Amino acid sequence: MLEEMKREMQVRVRAFARLREAIGGDLTLEVPEGATMSRLLAAVGGTSEQAGEALFEENGELRGYVILMHNGRRVRRAEAGTLTLADGDEVALFPPVAGG
Amino acid sequence: MISVTRDDFDVNAVIDRVRRADMGALVTFLGVVRDDGIEEMELEAYEEVAVKELETIRDQAFAEFPIGAVEIIHRIGRLRVGEDILLIVVGAGHRKEAFDACEYILERIKHSVPIWKKEIGKDGERWVPGESFGGDP
Repeated sequence: MLEEMKREMQVRVRAFARLREAIGGDLTLEVPEGATMSRLLAAVGGTSEQAGEALFEENGELRGYVILMHNGRRVRRAEAGTLTLADGDEVALFPPVAGG
Repeated sequence: MISVTRDDFDVNAVIDRVRRADMGALVTFLGVVRDDGIEEMELEAYEEVAVKELETIRDQAFAEFPIGAVEIIHRIGRLRVGEDILLIVVGAGHRKEAFDACEYILERIKHSVPIWKKEIGKDGERWVPGESFGGDP
């Protein structure tokens, strides 16, 4: 039996304000096909120590101030573990807004 | 018109674009960079989403208040103390709905439009904390 090839997909990650500074700018990450938002967040956190500290508490929980968007729509934190991403998706990470 | 831009605006030109004969009130909010011991402010936006959110806020203002026109211009980029940040112009038949709609739009902008400000002073830089907690929508 042939082992199924593990396919990768590309997800664009945009970060803003202090999260942009910690992550170092926008990224395009390769994650396995069907990866969830949580899987992607772990990959973003794994790009550098600074990125990991900005996104996650010591116990691995997503920090309280991180707001998530998927293709321009807000995503509830509880959905991150089940929301599956598709090739070409855009995920945005940012702290509470402060315009006006 | 809704815009997120690096360019400055002419308040009177915007008011003239909005005004119509049936409008007895044109309420204008102009937000400027305040001198809090800072020198400059750097404003950053998730532009595509910020424009869409401003359009949603405008549409909801039209749904909630009997108003005739709304213009919103939010600047981004590096701005010095005293420079314009935000212009909201609401035109309506009467003053009350114009004031109410203008305040509604401003509070909604502060709550949900993805724009951030960093204060830059002699002694360093600081991101202005958001007024709404991150958390879930």
